Amino acid sequence: MSHGQSRDASRISDRTPAGQAGLSDPATTIAFSEAQLGEVRRLQSLYPDARGALLPVLHMAQETFGYISLEAEEYVASLFELSPAHVHEVVTFYTLYFRERPGRHVVAVCHNLSCHLAGAPGIIAHMKRKLGIDPGETTEDGRVTFLTVECLCACEAAPMAQVDDRYELNLTPEKIDRLLEGLR
Amino acid sequence: MAEIVLMRNFANADSHTLGAYRGGGGYAAWDKARQMEPAAITEEVKKANLRGLGGAGFPTGAKWSFIPKTHTGPVYLVVNADEGEPGTFKDRYLLERDPHALIEGMLIAARAIRCTKGFVYIRGEYVQPWRRFSAAVQEAYDAGLLGQGFDVVVHRGAGAYICGEETGLLSSLEGKKGWPKIKPPFPAIKGAFGQPTIVNNVETLCCVPPIIARGAEWFAGLGTKTQGGTRMYSVSGRVKKPAVYEAPVSVTLRQLIEMAGGVSGTGRLKAVVPGGGSAAILTAHEIDVTMDVDGLKAAGTMIGSAGVIVMDESVSIPEALMVLARFYAHESCGQCTPCRESTGWIYKMVHRIVERRGHKDDLDTILDVAKRGAGTTICAFYDGAVGPYVSYIEKFRSEFEALIPHA
Amino acid sequence: MPKLTVNGKEVEVPAGTNLIEAARAAGVEVPHYCYHAALSIAGQCRLCMVDIEKTPRPTIACNTVATEGMVVNTETDRVRETRKSMMEFHLINHPLDCPVCDQAGECFLQIYYMKHGLYDPRMKDEKVHKPKAVPLGPHVILDAERCILCSRCVRFCDEITHTGELGIFSRGDHSEIGLFPGHELDNKYSANVVDICPVGALTDRDFRFQVRVWYLDTAKSICPGCARGCNIEVHVNRRRPHHAEGRRVARLKPRFNADVNKWWLCDAGRYGYGFVDAPERLLMPARRQGGASSDVTWDEAIAAVVEPLRRLPPDEIGIIASPKMSNEDLFALRRLTELRGIRHVASRVPPRVPGDEDNFLIRADKNPNSLGAELIGLGADARAVIEAAGARRLKLLWIFGHDLLAGALPERDVLEALRVVDTVVFTGSNANWTSAHSHWVLPAAAWVEREGTYTNFEGRVQRFRQASEPLGQSLAEWEIVARVLAPLGEAPTATRAEHWFRQLASSVPAFSGLSYQLIGDAGHPLAVTGAASR
Repeated sequence: MSHGQSRDASRISDRTPAGQAGLSDPATTIAFSEAQLGEVRRLQSLYPDARGALLPVLHMAQETFGYISLEAEEYVASLFELSPAHVHEVVTFYTLYFRERPGRHVVAVCHNLSCHLAGAPGIIAHMKRKLGIDPGETTEDGRVTFLTVECLCACEAAPMAQVDDRYELNLTPEKIDRLLEGLR
Repeated sequence: MAEIVLMRNFANADSHTLGAYRGGGGYAAWDKARQMEPAAITEEVKKANLRGLGGAGFPTGAKWSFIPKTHTGPVYLVVNADEGEPGTFKDRYLLERDPHALIEGMLIAARAIRCTKGFVYIRGEYVQPWRRFSAAVQEAYDAGLLGQGFDVVVHRGAGAYICGEETGLLSSLEGKKGWPKIKPPFPAIKGAFGQPTIVNNVETLCCVPPIIARGAEWFAGLGTKTQGGTRMYSVSGRVKKPAVYEAPVSVTLRQLIEMAGGVSGTGRLKAVVPGGGSAAILTAHEIDVTMDVDGLKAAGTMIGSAGVIVMDESVSIPEALMVLARFYAHESCGQCTPCRESTGWIYKMVHRIVERRGHKDDLDTILDVAKRGAGTTICAFYDGAVGPYVSYIEKFRSEFEALIPHA
Repeated sequence: MPKLTVNGKEVEVPAGTNLIEAARAAGVEVPHYCYHAALSIAGQCRLCMVDIEKTPRPTIACNTVATEGMVVNTETDRVRETRKSMMEFHLINHPLDCPVCDQAGECFLQIYYMKHGLYDPRMKDEKVHKPKAVPLGPHVILDAERCILCSRCVRFCDEITHTGELGIFSRGDHSEIGLFPGHELDNKYSANVVDICPVGALTDRDFRFQVRVWYLDTAKSICPGCARGCNIEVHVNRRRPHHAEGRRVARLKPRFNADVNKWWLCDAGRYGYGFVDAPERLLMPARRQGGASSDVTWDEAIAAVVEPLRRLPPDEIGIIASPKMSNEDLFALRRLTELRGIRHVASRVPPRVPGDEDNFLIRADKNPNSLGAELIGLGADARAVIEAAGARRLKLLWIFGHDLLAGALPERDVLEALRVVDTVVFTGSNANWTSAHSHWVLPAAAWVEREGTYTNFEGRVQRFRQASEPLGQSLAEWEIVARVLAPLGEAPTATRAEHWFRQLASSVPAFSGLSYQLIGDAGHPLAVTGAASR
């Protein structure tokens, strides 16, 4: 299949996973608490130009609301006196911001050079079989979002993946199975 | 046995704590530096022949001296902890195992360039290193090491390799996309938030306390004539003991591979990436080079971030190039035309070749396009891509041609 | 002022000049996309590379400041080869849309490819696909595939209108220009992005698929939409009348004037020409009797106006001119008032709703020549004339252009005035309520169909030139007035607008010293700016 048209899992759209059927979004008010707003102001004061706090505040928004919706982008834009278009630029540029709600767990398998040499393609194929989804997608029960990503700089322990906040090293199919089992 | 400088504290399980760091002699260099004139600190670093260890290999002391003497406004120190070069993992170790070494290096550097605020830009994926480093920063504040004329802001990235490029990092720090800035002006003149800025790699700054504590001559003497000291080589791929290895910069590639236990897989070496994914590849016959900035430059490649990826005979070079071409296409920031358009196109061509749907002109097209784009872009990202595009094909052409019908 | 050499030619430029402008000063064009003199430097397209002595590699010209003794060469083999490479990079993913793209004929991918490219394309893979034909707002439509990501439009919305609607999203070759999802590009200057887009990515919805640009003729003109008088070009479709349903004016484009509008034009002005080819255009002189209108000849119509003008005492004649009329029209009318001693003369009708104004180009006064009318002595408020008419003191009322019910004049007074005056004459280009309640209708040519001058609110006199022929039998107002003056005993020597201007310049001190030649294409300030002169 021609690359340009394929559902290229290594693309930036990693973080807008498909397969969201059944995942309804509980109504969340997009607003920070007073304490959080205080934190926003504190972060803004750390930088010579308050805009420097945009990436940290977007991380805050993702942690608070689960992902960064368009509404969240407009909300954050209002905290910075930035046009929403410029916040949207930032959110779509970086790979760690989810623009749709991800699964409860995110498993990002590295497919760069050293991991490739250590067998990443096999790990990825195994994950596809085990989860029944392609990279870039989320399981129907909302448990796992599966991604392939670029070098996570743990090449000495290849093949490896980032699972939520931690690195899982020296992966084998068995380790993957145990790992996935532990993800509720 | 060569001296271990950067990894000296790693064996200690509590090495990341202030207590353990102090116990190993930490912050004594800072005490000494506080008695020195800023210019004298810079002189010492210059005499030590410290070269940047993030990728560009620029002489660190010279960089520090580019800050305009007449500037009266703020000067910023920015630490590039956006490690992302394929095959490189040394900074991750330093952040997790010896964060105070970086803090001490920052304190000394800040004094040299008369800076009162430092930013540490840590890639977003490095959550554990970020927590370790942030805890160390808190310890340093609590102990009165920080906050007495020098403040540190820890800033997490959000996933973009281009933020490891010096000015791409600055754009990201400013709350924008990681688009590198057009130069001139250079960061030392106009950098973060429009002020003179020095951007240094984590490991580079970790070299500074030992230089001050033990002297420039000692550090310079550890290395070659044009580059002093040791450095941490990240060795991975088809070696028996992939790990980070510290060695003097005069070490040869052959020696490094031996340190890493030798070639695994078939046991027969085919090729080596000597300086991170963006370095031109070396064949098995080219490994008697010294792994310093000028040694590898003379060999037609670069030491870059010292990420060594070893390939044995069973590795498909076209596949390896495809993996890297995919990486460059994904990480191109898209700001300037040659890189934005051709990284995607070249990936498509290499992908087709690997899938045995290559056209007979593809190889020459890739080479020609890459060479036409080299040197024309806003930043060196594209030149980093050109390294593999050209060297893999030129040095292993027959392997590519074997995949192309009627080549 | 540094002196440098470009392609062997020495030139001196102001300090701080970049090499694109320095080369221009030396008569050398450096091809470029992302650079625009009004916007910040982007340095993204990489097309403007030039060779500078002592610099190892070609350097971008836009970001290089000219220094004393610099030696620049824009035509070395290396620079030519680099340009060719840059053209190839730009066209890798560009869709071959020329046959359906409005930009064809004025597209800088086409122009620069023919001049600097001319290579055989070798991109055989599937190009990146992006959204096409996406309306961004009322006036602008986007084709993201055609976009070369020069970011001029983004910088325009940030730096000129300060509205920040546009951004470049994502990265790599999937980068895309766009709006925040759900938002619109609706600032008052939105269509300027179409002008500055070098390619067919941002195009004009009003102009879309109307006519190929090589069938357009152009005339330099002045926008009559407000008192700013932005300099424009009128593009008319003369040679393909079967396109665009006979619409003659295809589009307006801004014309650079450093002192008035720089490179820009507001949307209201850009799209305000619709009335020119509207069905309501008055084409023939007409007489209205008993509710029905019948066409008459110009001779008949003129005679019908001359008769009361000659017969009536001056105090029973009222004239409401218009601040939309040119200086020439107004001066001809002034000659008439002087000849007959008519004192009930005005031109100002305040609008019902105050016009919008901003701190950029838009003026609240939506007339192009209020200052001209005032200086020529016809600038009084029309209220007095309407009151005189309503009090049955006027027997002849000649109204130019206004729809009197559309302004702030009390409706009752207007209705009464038009009801009781014996002879109401209307002169204008388009039918309106007032023309429908006049006894005689004399059709005026629209501003694109004749030439003349306007005086903008800052006292700058600017020429507008004829772009197409008057529709039907319509005539410029000065021509109509001249035909009335002749039978009244003063056959004007003026047979062209310029003649009237010369007379104006020698009669009204504010205009003294001015001439069409002095005014040229950039306009000229009045001799005594703003001073009223009767």
